[in-house]
Amino acid sequence: MGSAEAWRDTKAGMWAWLLQRVAAVGLLGVIVMHLKNPFMRPVQATLLGLVLLHGVLGIRSILLDFGLPARWHRALFLLALLVGIAAFALFWKWRWF
Amino acid sequence: MVLKVFRWGPGTRERLQKYWVRARQGMTVLDALVEVQRGTDPTLAFRYACRVGMCGSCAMVINGRERWACRTLLAGLPRGAVTLRPLYNFPLIRDLVVDMAPIKSKMLATKAVFVPARRAGEEASFAAIGSETKERRAIDAAVECIGCGMCVSACTMVGHDARFPGPAALNRVFTLQRDSRDSAHAERGEALLSEDVLARCHGQANCTEVCPMQLSPTDSILALRRRAILRLFGFSPR
Repeated sequence: MGSAEAWRDTKAGMWAWLLQRVAAVGLLGVIVMHLKNPFMRPVQATLLGLVLLHGVLGIRSILLDFGLPARWHRALFLLALLVGIAAFALFWKWRWF
Repeated sequence: MVLKVFRWGPGTRERLQKYWVRARQGMTVLDALVEVQRGTDPTLAFRYACRVGMCGSCAMVINGRERWACRTLLAGLPRGAVTLRPLYNFPLIRDLVVDMAPIKSKMLATKAVFVPARRAGEEASFAAIGSETKERRAIDAAVECIGCGMCVSACTMVGHDARFPGPAALNRVFTLQRDSRDSAHAERGEALLSEDVLARCHGQANCTEVCPMQLSPTDSILALRRRAILRLFGFSPR
């Protein structure tokens, strides 16, 4: 059935799922670019960002799989994003490479 | 207040029809629909029964989110037109009325039916399970499902894979798999491990977000998944 309605509510859990998948697809392209030239700063930053995003959202999924209440899924989503941002800032500032 | 109501019937094109309603204090979406039907358009079809948030039959999609019309106050919605449409993932009968038959057919397909344990020559065993027991507390919330269909409507996987049983059926399966009086655990366990059942849930928790009874079908599905994995490794989950 098609719908005359133009939009529908997109819930937090759906965004978490979608972002993780988009990050995974994005990584495929960015890894190739990084292998061609590992010294491009924008590519390094994108790679780090996507890896962290994919990783922290994956940990959120695993925690829910292992029995954390699904009612926490919004808070976990927010926490995952905050941890990702903090980790990005930390690694980028550190720049041991 | 403007209501934009999804209209469709056999032989007609679907459309959003506008109705103007004078919003009063304490008026719910269901009140507004009843007023439209009685005063403006008697052809408008929608379903309701108890009107007090018990039966779930007035479930619909209000401003893009599954809610029960009888418990949704117009004043509680954002300013502007209120968009009403029927539940997703159910066959449409007319306007806001959908066919709820898939709820039952999906439950039958997943064997979400109580199979009493019985020994040869004995009557079915219906041992009482105390309300304070661990077994009962594990399924306490999950047994309160009223079958309104909001979770099925909100689930993206039900729309994507017709063979996925959906949150309502799997929530029911969970209550049976934890019921010591039931004898079909192994049989259901096999079915749960098939490609289109537990593995299909993406854990988006849309079902949990919209459940009007504050149940968590997501937790039920994830618990079933943990039990299935234990079985795969030769453990017998309690």
